[in-house]
Amino acid sequence: MPLTGKGTTTRPNIRRGDSSTGGRLLIVFVAISLTLLFLGTREGPSKVLSRTRDVFQTITKPVRYLGALVASPFDAAGNVVANLTTDQETLSELRAENQQLRARNAELEEAALSTGRLEALLELKNAYSLTSTGARIISNSSDSWTATVVLDKGTSSGIAVGMPVTDSVGVIGQIIACGPTTATVRLIVDESSGVSAMVQSSRAQGVLKGSATGSLRLTLIRTDQTVAVGDTVVTSGLGGVFPKGLPLGKVVSVEKPTGAPYYDIVVEPLSSAESLEEVLVITSVTAEQQATAEDIAEADAQETSGLENDDAMKPQELSDDSVTYDDVEY
Amino acid sequence: MQVKDRNKNRRSIGALALLALFFQLGIAPAIALGGGHPNFAFVFAAVIALSIGGGTGVACGFVSGLVYDLSTTGPIGLMALLLSIAAYVLGVEVRDRISEEPMMTLIPFSVAALSVSLCYGLFALAFGVGESLFDAVFLRALPSALLTVIVYVPFLIFMGRSRRGGGIKSGTPGRQSRYTLGNR
Repeated sequence: MPLTGKGTTTRPNIRRGDSSTGGRLLIVFVAISLTLLFLGTREGPSKVLSRTRDVFQTITKPVRYLGALVASPFDAAGNVVANLTTDQETLSELRAENQQLRARNAELEEAALSTGRLEALLELKNAYSLTSTGARIISNSSDSWTATVVLDKGTSSGIAVGMPVTDSVGVIGQIIACGPTTATVRLIVDESSGVSAMVQSSRAQGVLKGSATGSLRLTLIRTDQTVAVGDTVVTSGLGGVFPKGLPLGKVVSVEKPTGAPYYDIVVEPLSSAESLEEVLVITSVTAEQQATAEDIAEADAQETSGLENDDAMKPQELSDDSVTYDDVEY
Repeated sequence: MQVKDRNKNRRSIGALALLALFFQLGIAPAIALGGGHPNFAFVFAAVIALSIGGGTGVACGFVSGLVYDLSTTGPIGLMALLLSIAAYVLGVEVRDRISEEPMMTLIPFSVAALSVSLCYGLFALAFGVGESLFDAVFLRALPSALLTVIVYVPFLIFMGRSRRGGGIKSGTPGRQSRYTLGNR
């Protein structure tokens, strides 16, 4: 029986494959890890670490795609189970919603005819165009701390960091990293995400932020403005990243905290960003799709008014609010 | 007399690494509890640390942590740091144990999984990933640790069969397999 452990000669080691404790190796790896962490926080224009990550994403693309294919039947099974356990009340609500949607569909068909005519006019002027490229989600985030998805297209398809991404329903997020054939999208539900948004009906402007629970919070809407449950929240176009008017979500709760200058608004995202879903990456935004000078003036007036009405706000809060009218930071 | 079969260990580590990579990148996103996902990189590092240990365990911990870091948008080097330390601690923890029963590793594994998950959550918070301590701990770190422990169970079974000589290929006790971990 070998006695291989250093400093443990009084005990027999009958199961270890490596006789050393790995202490020296640990010191080396800890030093490397700390160096990488330090370099990551101080990364210069070369962005070696980011590029390494992009290359890694590209190399592992087939693995992610295979995983998505393997996992997709389980996602479908999960939906079936969820449907089977749906209670009667929910089914009644769905029937009522279905009737409303039918009525709405009729309206929209009429509107579509009208839009068709208008689009013909617009084509003449070539004034409206959403320049985009199609892509597919091949993987959701594999870690617990961020809400991201990986697309199957990258810089070779004209995609770049900062571009907004939508699915058929509305905005899902923004590109934060881009390799040759893959791109990583930070979803709007990510805690670090913040999108300039407005309530479609009242035009009240704020910032839509993600949260760990997967819901969205519409901030900076003053309590003297009009917001109701069921209102649609759309992009405001401020910041110039997202085209104006793209759907983001529906208001599911509005609370007016006592003494607070702003509403506490929870928004349910319209998009779910599931694997293998097709999305559109908006590659450029025209001047018509950006916020107008009038919109910017409105936002400034709203912010100024909010500050004047709130003498009790702390300086730090004012500072935070004043910088959040930009689109997603990355 | 004990004979070390390094090639067999390498084959086993390589096979397990590929399996862990596939699970981490392809399957982990589909398994969620709250905001947490299982950490297969940690499972791989822990299995090697508990089976072989020493420098091999620490090296596997670092490499798997680095792969995890590269596959996410979090700080590069953070999981590599934590998994290197965790693999070292787990290796030392079970170093002098006589018991061959892999089930005995479940407790140190669970403690290490929770510690790594909590530490990553807190460090990530310090690096600007996320905003709320409550969310980081209760919606991400704890569910992630729990899922990691759950997905470790099949690996425990593999380790048990591996020690008894079944391996993952033959499945017959007493028969030699191409894929085993540690020495027998």
